[in-house]
Amino acid sequence: MMILSVVLIVLAVFGAPLFVIIVASAMLGYYKEGIDLMAVAIEVLGIANMPFLSAIPLFTFAGFLLSESSAPKRLVRLTGALLGWMPGGLALVALAASAFFTAFTGASGVTIIALGAILYPALKHDGYPDNFNLGLVTTSGSLGLLFAPSLPLILYGVIAEVSIDNLFRAGILPGLLMLLMLSGYSLWVARGNEKPLTPFSFKELAGALRESIWELPLPIVVLGGIYSGFFAVSEAAAVTALYVLIVEVAILREISPKDLPGVMRESMLLVGGILIILGVSLASTNYMIDAGVPQTLLAIVAEQVSSQASFLILLLLFLRYYVTPRCFYYIAIG
Amino acid sequence: MSDRESGLLNRLERWGTAAENASLVILLGAMMLLAVGQIVMRLFFNSGFVWADELLKLMVLWIALIASVAASRSNRHLRIDVVSHFVPEKFARLPRLVVDAFAAFICGVLAWHSYRFIELSIEFEDTVLVGVPSWMAHSILPIAFALMSYRFFLSVAGSAIDMLRTKSP
Repeated sequence: MMILSVVLIVLAVFGAPLFVIIVASAMLGYYKEGIDLMAVAIEVLGIANMPFLSAIPLFTFAGFLLSESSAPKRLVRLTGALLGWMPGGLALVALAASAFFTAFTGASGVTIIALGAILYPALKHDGYPDNFNLGLVTTSGSLGLLFAPSLPLILYGVIAEVSIDNLFRAGILPGLLMLLMLSGYSLWVARGNEKPLTPFSFKELAGALRESIWELPLPIVVLGGIYSGFFAVSEAAAVTALYVLIVEVAILREISPKDLPGVMRESMLLVGGILIILGVSLASTNYMIDAGVPQTLLAIVAEQVSSQASFLILLLLFLRYYVTPRCFYYIAIG
Repeated sequence: MSDRESGLLNRLERWGTAAENASLVILLGAMMLLAVGQIVMRLFFNSGFVWADELLKLMVLWIALIASVAASRSNRHLRIDVVSHFVPEKFARLPRLVVDAFAAFICGVLAWHSYRFIELSIEFEDTVLVGVPSWMAHSILPIAFALMSYRFFLSVAGSAIDMLRTKSP
């Protein structure tokens, strides 16, 4: 058994698809316990028993549509009109626009491509050091992770059976803190920049607002709807997806209906990769619960860790070095 | 491989992609309409369909599995890709062939057990939604894993042919 587990790890390192490794480890466990392997297939059907999961394909699709349209450009113009007059303005614009866009596209990495392509050359042009720009664009791509309706939070809520609304509320402060600290650092980097500041202009702001008039209701509906509890996450996702589809394809006509299947496929490739891992993990998690893995882990941790602070440090290290989709499960169980 | 055979494979490829795209488009579209329809019913008529929620969840299952097949075709499954970064391409082929063969095998086994489960569920006449036989809703399971197994097998065959060609020019 030990040897087979090692073989699995080696196969994983050599690039076997992760879901295959998880299926194989679940099968190995079930086989050892003498459970019919049919159980693995039945566990995968658990995908169809999870509430709110439809939010994931719908938000991802909406995010891909938005990033294919000119919405990122409009968003940068609008945040530019709002924040661009401050010292270090462009870096702040990058952070704010990215945090916002990431939250809406579900922190799937789309932000870096959609906004980075606009922001990176602009930052360079404004005289920021190159390494800083690269760092800023990539870091800000995950800034929205803690704000509604980010997909990792939804996924965590669904699996750990924690209220997703509470997760979103809990994410606001740490998210803002991250935003604030990164903004502070950006101001520090920009301190020597001698470029004259562009003054704040009401005309530019009005123009930017008028240009993004169709996208403006989106944050109100989604954020207002979710934070107020008027919409469930999955409902907000459906409204967002349908609204974005109508606006970008029928009203603004920035995406032709001909390209639509391509965008849908592209967004679903990402979703498929995530959901299949979720599905097969249901099987391996159940095996681990049966085998008492969580209790063993908990016992080890309780023996070694005495204070809350050292537990937090350990948890951070664990998350830092063990960030696979499975880490959700261990925490969820622990 | 004769021209006619590879022509057939190419056609299968095109039809397969088209079928995946069509089902994803239909499922995603239906999901949006159904979910929004449900909200409209709730807000304005204070009612809704009891089966809508279950149907939505089944659609998520279908999307997950079909998209997973599509991800196998486009080679977009999540992998830990360390080795190929450090090993020159010539030596990366063999490990790639091995892991894909392993993936084809595991998906095949899972497809087989899913099929056994479907058989059982036909026998017990399980139902989902309002009296729909559950094997209809769950039949995507063996189909999707069988297709994934086939995709990984094709990829193994591709790498093997590549390796043979470079060895004996």
